[in-house]
Amino acid sequence: MSALATLLARVYEWRWVVLPPVAGVAMMAMIVGALVAAPREIIEGEVQRLMYLHVPSAVTMYAAFGFTAFASVMFLWKRDMRWDAAARGSAVVGVFLCGMVLATGAIWGKPIWGVYWSWDARLTTTLILFLIYSAYLLARSVAGPLDEQAARFAAIFAIIGVADIPIIQMSVRWWRTLHPQPIVFQTNPALPGEMLIVLLIGFIAIFALATWLISLQTDTERAAQRVHALRAEVDHREIA
Amino acid sequence: MENIEYLFAGFAVFWGGLFVYLLTLQARLRSLHREIERLEERLAESEGKPAPRSRTVGNASSAASGSAEPSAPPANS
Repeated sequence: MSALATLLARVYEWRWVVLPPVAGVAMMAMIVGALVAAPREIIEGEVQRLMYLHVPSAVTMYAAFGFTAFASVMFLWKRDMRWDAAARGSAVVGVFLCGMVLATGAIWGKPIWGVYWSWDARLTTTLILFLIYSAYLLARSVAGPLDEQAARFAAIFAIIGVADIPIIQMSVRWWRTLHPQPIVFQTNPALPGEMLIVLLIGFIAIFALATWLISLQTDTERAAQRVHALRAEVDHREIA
Repeated sequence: MENIEYLFAGFAVFWGGLFVYLLTLQARLRSLHREIERLEERLAESEGKPAPRSRTVGNASSAASGSAEPSAPPANS
């Protein structure tokens, strides 16, 4: 366990050197690939190219909320506030990505479905996920950054909230929905090779960006914890 | 070039959202660092010592978690 912690610490130290350039280069490649290299879809037209942003954002959003749940479990187990900061950091990025998924999906929906929004199973369950983690962040921000009891309740809420992800994923199979069926890892019909490559670059770009943002946001949450701890110490000394 | 305005609207929303998010995050991080410096100066004054150099964010966890030494931060996804 300590070897794993040391390895993770080493990787974490390199985040500023590795993640921004990887995310930047992959983003540029994804934009060029999506707008120029990928073939035009015959039925949907140009707006289909939003898939290269929408699908990787959705999958990375699942990973961000999954990490929030994992960090929440670790917090409940270890009672270390650093895990609470990591959970909050990844939840913020997950909510941001979820907002982007809903927005790009709505913009795609207008020319294809004729409406920006429909109370479709996939859309509604995704909106519920957005609201669950927005509520988590709101509840966590009302309490102080070092409030351990609030952090415990929020961690339980975050772990329960992640159960919505398999429901979102399976919604297009369980219910009749407007949302397109999964096509990325299907063989019949299969996604053309050029589209698949651009999509893969999109996955790398969004994943690297999200990892960097999570580390940045976690640093911010930890700085807020430090401010809180210092304020308490200053108050204690000034009263004494 | 069918529906191209929606394509650009989608990309603009994503990049605009990311830009605004990064700006607010940077502003919050900067104000927190200033606050940490200010509080450390006050602490040093109350101890009668010269103010310590500003700590990095990596050390923030040490105070927050109550440990004296900075320890390994948790990994991200």
